[in-house]
Amino acid sequence: MEATASEPSGRGRRSVFREERRLGAGMLTPALAVIALVAAYPILYALWLSLHQYSVITPGLSRFVGFDNYSEALGSSEFWGAMTTTLIFTVSSVALELVIGLGMALVMHQAFRGRALLRAVVLVPWAILTVVTAITWRTIFEPDLGFVNTMLETLSLPGSNVIWLGETGYALGVMILADVWKTAPFMALLILAGLQGIPDELHDAAKVDGANTWQRFRNVTLPLLIPAITVALIFRTLDALRIFDLPYVLTKGANGTETLSLIAQEELVTNRNTGLGSALSVLTFMTVMGVSFLYIRFIGGNIRALTED
Amino acid sequence: MLRYLLVLAACLACLGLTACGDDDDGGGGGDAKALESSEARDASGDVGWCIGKDTSGAFTTAIEEFNKENPKLNAQLLELPESADLQREQQVQRLRAESSECDVLGMDVIWTAEYAAAGWLYDLTSVVDEQEGAFIPSTVETVEFENSKWALPFNTNAGFVYYRTNEVQDAPKTWEELYDKAKETKGLVYQGERYEGLTVNFIELLSSAGGKVLSDDGETVEIDSPQTREVLEFMRSGIQSGAVPRAVTTYEEESSRRAFEAGNATFMRNWPYAYALAKESGIADSFEITTFPGFAGGEGAGALGGYNLGISAYSDNPGGALAFAEFLVTPEVQEEMVVKATLPATVTEVYDDPQVKEALPFAEELRKAIEQAEPRPVSPVYPEISQAIYDNVFAVLNGRSSPDEAASAMSSQIEEALARF
Repeated sequence: MEATASEPSGRGRRSVFREERRLGAGMLTPALAVIALVAAYPILYALWLSLHQYSVITPGLSRFVGFDNYSEALGSSEFWGAMTTTLIFTVSSVALELVIGLGMALVMHQAFRGRALLRAVVLVPWAILTVVTAITWRTIFEPDLGFVNTMLETLSLPGSNVIWLGETGYALGVMILADVWKTAPFMALLILAGLQGIPDELHDAAKVDGANTWQRFRNVTLPLLIPAITVALIFRTLDALRIFDLPYVLTKGANGTETLSLIAQEELVTNRNTGLGSALSVLTFMTVMGVSFLYIRFIGGNIRALTED
Repeated sequence: MLRYLLVLAACLACLGLTACGDDDDGGGGGDAKALESSEARDASGDVGWCIGKDTSGAFTTAIEEFNKENPKLNAQLLELPESADLQREQQVQRLRAESSECDVLGMDVIWTAEYAAAGWLYDLTSVVDEQEGAFIPSTVETVEFENSKWALPFNTNAGFVYYRTNEVQDAPKTWEELYDKAKETKGLVYQGERYEGLTVNFIELLSSAGGKVLSDDGETVEIDSPQTREVLEFMRSGIQSGAVPRAVTTYEEESSRRAFEAGNATFMRNWPYAYALAKESGIADSFEITTFPGFAGGEGAGALGGYNLGISAYSDNPGGALAFAEFLVTPEVQEEMVVKATLPATVTEVYDDPQVKEALPFAEELRKAIEQAEPRPVSPVYPEISQAIYDNVFAVLNGRSSPDEAASAMSSQIEEALARF
């Protein structure tokens, strides 16, 4: 494409080019129409809803309130609390998942007997429904009867009296733990796919050059893994920013575990404040968008640099 | 560019919620149509009954019997999810879309006012009045909103105090005595998590103390009262003194039941369902149940649960729907619901039935508990009222807020909810 554009070309050439562009546009139209329908419409509709106030008492009544819903949301401590919680959750869970997932992928990449079985088994936590995961962890951390406290007590370790889900810091910790347990395998799977795309010749060449294991990992494996890691990070970060089911089941949002999606759902579904709820959804959406653009801007640049090399 | 588009598409999922929160036109409260019992005669056609999951099979049996007795009518069960929140969501979606799928709505008592205010229900005042004597009076209060009656009370529920007979001799006569005994023994567990259950637990104590959330007409907030402060202080000191374990702030019904059955608590506040289960557990022979005590010198009170049967304003067959709803509150069906599904009847005479007494050995206490229970605030914005209550009570239990702060915060948040248009 670049070659075509830079070529000083005659009339005929240009018209062929234009025709091709038209053909290209024609072929893209159906896809763009689908995107507009499933993507643009809900976004615009949510924006429209967020500018109105809908009657809770009389269904069907609504009035235009401009940005009132946004100022109510941005002015509430609940929103900023949820924002902080969501960001802490996202950063810590995704960072842990990256480290653990990378470790798991490196192990699974080695050739050994039973590798196929291990790969399948490792995916089990990821295959379990999040709600089931959440109920399981809730039971494990139950005071008195839960596995954790019973174990701590039996081993006479400190902490057997801690009400894990009832204390502000710990509750978020349990939520992060449950998420890492569940999705580190997913991270591992994506990174493993990246690992398998790295040709063995590069390692062999590095070995010939006298690079040790760490040097080979640092200078061969890691740089070539960046694209796979970026994809995995984007997936996980977006998921983590939208987390709903874990806190909903673990604590119902109590003790510093209220996330953006949780407060949006509460307003939209429970309290039927369609306007305010939509404003909260739009704000969540913009947060997620902002974070993904940052990813593309800073890490995504690496992908281009790598592919251009 | 494509990369940006992909990310955009990935972000969309977070707006999914909004896309479901449909707005709508039409509906509207105002003049509701009234239905008379004469319209149930000679009705024919299909009747859809939308109610929560038929876990015991009792709903299906009732439908079969009804269809056999009424060859011209064909009732069908439309099973909704087991969780009450999801049931409400499913019903509200259909009602907003003016769907005629649900003719008879099985509504939790706390949704009745909301549905009535939205204009989604037929006015059943004359139908209920005709057989008012048959129902336990407190259950009829749950179908009242703005001087009309909007549903037939289908089943009801009230909380109890469970206690271990090997640890305390007699049932406590006052809440103070219960907490004192709890301090000396293994304590009292209740539902203290931040959710609807905590609102119920709080309202039970508040009613016993003579306090109110709203005025009788539902217009003014009365929760900012000395009674509210007393109850909050009582709950807080219960946790501080060790009468109630701190863990209750993470307990809902099932976790408190497990703690009680494991012998970790001497007292428990729970619904009747826990009775049958505890009878199959290790503590089967060493527990007893009793109705709520009052505060010193006062009567005990509870908060009513249960389901009402409303007729959807969008029903194509309101006459048939009414015939079916009336069938469901006949003593025979009500008795079956108790025996087969442990759904406490709303019809008084059922409690004297020998079969019911056999299935529910505590039938007498149950009727007493229901009679002394009061409906939760009847308001179309009940969900927000409840949230204002459980948020602030929870803050007191966790020591993040004083009873005084919590009482005024509750009051102003409820006032805000009532002012919604």
